[in-house]
Amino acid sequence: MKKKMALILCIAMAAMCLSGCSKNTESFATKQESKESLTTIRIWHDGDKAIMQMMEHRLNEALSDNGITVKFEQKSGLTDQIKLYESDEVNGPDMYMYAHDSLGMFVEMGALAPLADVIDKKVYADMLPMTLKAGNYKDSQYLMPVYFETLLFIYNKDLWEGEVPSTTDELYSYMKNHTDITKGTYALVNQHSTAYNVAPFINGFGGFIMNEQAKPGLSDEKTKEAVEYHKKFADLEADGDYNTVNALFNEGKAAAIIGGPWLIAGVKEAKINYGIKSLSDFTLPNGNALAPYSGVQGIGVMKHAAEAKKDAVAKVLEEIANPEIGIDLAENSGCAPANQKSYESKTVANDEMIAAMRRTADTAQPMPNIPQMSVMWGPTESLLAAVNKSGKDFSTAADEYQKVAENAIADMK
Amino acid sequence: MKKKAAKRVAGLSILNLFFILMCFITLIPILYAFLLSISNESSAFGSGFLLPRNPTLKNYEAILLEEPFLVWLKNSVVLSLGTMILAMGTSVTASYAFSRFRFRGRNEMLKLLLILNAFPQILSMFAIFRLFKNMNLLNNYIGLILIYAGSMCIFSIWNMKGYFDTIPIEIEEAARIDGGSPGQIIWKIILPLARPSIIVTAVMVLIFVWNEYLFATTFLMREENYTLAGGLYQLQANDYSRSWSLFSAAAILVSIPILLVFFSIQKYMISGLTAGGVKG
Amino acid sequence: MKKKNKFLPWGYSFSSILLIGLIVVFPIIYTIYISFTNMNLYHWTDYEFIAFSNYRRALTKLDSGFMSALFTTIIWTVLNMVIQIFVAYLVALGLNVKGLKLARLYKTLLMFPWAMPAYVSILLWRVGMYNPQYGLLNKILSALGFSKVDFLSENIPAFLSCMVLNLWMALPFLIMMMDGAFQSVDNSYYESAKLDGAGWWAQNLYITIPSIKPILAPSIIMTTFTTFKQFDIIYLLTMQKGSLTGATLQTVITYAHQNAFVSNNYGLSSAVSIVIFGFIILFSLFINRGIREEKA
Repeated sequence: MKKKMALILCIAMAAMCLSGCSKNTESFATKQESKESLTTIRIWHDGDKAIMQMMEHRLNEALSDNGITVKFEQKSGLTDQIKLYESDEVNGPDMYMYAHDSLGMFVEMGALAPLADVIDKKVYADMLPMTLKAGNYKDSQYLMPVYFETLLFIYNKDLWEGEVPSTTDELYSYMKNHTDITKGTYALVNQHSTAYNVAPFINGFGGFIMNEQAKPGLSDEKTKEAVEYHKKFADLEADGDYNTVNALFNEGKAAAIIGGPWLIAGVKEAKINYGIKSLSDFTLPNGNALAPYSGVQGIGVMKHAAEAKKDAVAKVLEEIANPEIGIDLAENSGCAPANQKSYESKTVANDEMIAAMRRTADTAQPMPNIPQMSVMWGPTESLLAAVNKSGKDFSTAADEYQKVAENAIADMK
Repeated sequence: MKKKAAKRVAGLSILNLFFILMCFITLIPILYAFLLSISNESSAFGSGFLLPRNPTLKNYEAILLEEPFLVWLKNSVVLSLGTMILAMGTSVTASYAFSRFRFRGRNEMLKLLLILNAFPQILSMFAIFRLFKNMNLLNNYIGLILIYAGSMCIFSIWNMKGYFDTIPIEIEEAARIDGGSPGQIIWKIILPLARPSIIVTAVMVLIFVWNEYLFATTFLMREENYTLAGGLYQLQANDYSRSWSLFSAAAILVSIPILLVFFSIQKYMISGLTAGGVKG
Repeated sequence: MKKKNKFLPWGYSFSSILLIGLIVVFPIIYTIYISFTNMNLYHWTDYEFIAFSNYRRALTKLDSGFMSALFTTIIWTVLNMVIQIFVAYLVALGLNVKGLKLARLYKTLLMFPWAMPAYVSILLWRVGMYNPQYGLLNKILSALGFSKVDFLSENIPAFLSCMVLNLWMALPFLIMMMDGAFQSVDNSYYESAKLDGAGWWAQNLYITIPSIKPILAPSIIMTTFTTFKQFDIIYLLTMQKGSLTGATLQTVITYAHQNAFVSNNYGLSSAVSIVIFGFIILFSLFINRGIREEKA
């Protein structure tokens, strides 16, 4: 017993020494790093590993002559992490890459520097206007757009019978005839209780989740109409959980799915013979097309980096604006580049999915990027879950969650 | 006599049956994870509960070779042992003091500790972060060990104090009369007697650190510094439906070291009191 | 005779108290400090002192929503604790029956849920057990010819589902503690009791329970607090962002989380946290009455 205790203690002491040593080497490393740190740019992201590795590789190749190293580091729960680290020279990132909807929050916090502090307007002149608008807050450009995403209608060509309809009513009658819930086969699945995935209906009906004056629109008559209309679709769309709907589609139990380009890698892996249709090709009963949100993945600059590492940051941004990166992203990962010049490449222009997203982009609205939006997703999702999953009355639930949203916005000040 | 023996055997068989059933029910979710982890399909999300057609170990292989699993394992071991030593080193003496001495503020302190323990830790993350940022303890094992040891300290004190209370003071007094110094008495008599409680508490601390991910992923920044739980958390945050079988394999692998610890400590769990003190 | 000494005990506990001061007390004080400022998104670094106005706002938040959360939490804690203690007692009793050769193996297997990181277990249950499409429970139901059930979409089934999961995750600890306590009971008591003709019930009531009570009291108190504070299970099972299940179950802690962290208003949320902490203290005092410490 005593021997064992002694042994354990010894091991523990050794471990402590080791950790001590590794700590020492670490501080040595930081010393070394500080010399090089002016040329090392750390970018935090919470995205697809393959995409980020490709960008990292690409940037490092292009910038090695300037002695600049770029490191992409994944942080899950990126918004919470940036809230903690803010603009922190020692521990935080120099830049971040993320969807544009959290932009307003970071700017109000004082974490970001406008791009104009680092580079000239000309650098991003070729970007699609929609993507620039998404990265613009209070008339300053903060995000350098890289690529954008919209929801798509992805269908399994081997399972779908006949033509894909072009009105939502026809789509619904097809769903009714081709869904067998007890057998677990579905015509269409969608994350029907996620705000982002229902937004095409809400926007298409002329309703809104939040308008530019930061007013929540859950109890707006048009929004209510949309939620009510959408409910009958939700009833035929399985559970609506992200993993459930993906698995259903990839296993061939669902003939179609509404989802983003990020699903494609998995769909290809499952060897599904898929086709793609833009959501703007579906018309609602009121004659409008489905109007999804678009999300723009862009890169922002932390305040400290804009001052201390201005030159390196400028070089990185210039390289990101290079249309070649857009082409690479499109060819390897199916991302729709933000740079219009990237579309001059034939492979990009002919890609079915990118073409569909580009077409959707004309009717899609960028998600609001005002800080109040960050508290809107919760109540909206609660409303949808209450209506679609718990079977609550849509009208009273809408009024209830409108109040929740209003309170949450009031709590911000 | 024979009848009695037969009854005993029957009783034991029923008991065994009961435990086998209970273990099976307990292990169902884990069996599910295991079956997924050896399945071959890329999206094995829905195929659980059937023995996969072509069982494979490729997911385990992938975890061990492709993910920095062994680095994370080393980090977890360093962190848990460091925390265990710090937490036990500080709380064993404290719980002894709270159990054996009667001093002013003792009761109040014990109750205060209990109340402090009720403050939810997620609420204090922000404050600790600010503090450590100023003390330059971010991205550093010492900082994390301090957090873990501090959060388990109250639990350890309370847990061991209760056990110390049950060790008769007479044993200690007898030792004193025999001429033992206070240090000797604690080291040679009290600690061995309290062994089960000390081991259980140490294991609790170990498990806490082993399974903690929130602080680990917030306070450690580089992937190569993550602990197992933290690294796994990142792995699942990453669209796990595509690597669901990979994730299950990792989950099983993370649990195995703790199970080994359980199995190996069980013989020390027999009470120090009955095994050593009074009878021996 | 217990020792009396003014300074020695403080010397013994100095390092612990320092550690607790740093990791537990400091954050509470800091939270109190922030609760008096207007630190929010618009004053992230240039916040200033605004006295009690956060508290005035925090108190208006303690509406019916908070009361029902408090009520849920109390039921949650009581039910979980009662079932846990009862089941753990029975299992430990079984494990200590003489002649059960495989006891050690059973014990290790029963510890498995504890060895798994909590969020992994929760994820496993959400997907493997409760999922309406793929979960085992629904597979069994549909194999038996029943229609599929969405376990997490209504409050009461969701509460029970969370409770089953909590029991699954928490029982191993209590079983282990009970088992340890059982083994510290002096066998000679049972032998003399048997001679006196005491039956199974009497042995349990008059020997086992009184002997293990002092050893177990601390772990039971600790478990009660952990149960009260339980956040991960309810949050990750029913209200994780992007996969809400429809249930609107709230406990005090999830309520605090929702009111505190979503708005990015640290001043206000700190005030809410402190007010809720006040309620937890009241709750602790209530429990405290149950702990009768022997007077020296």
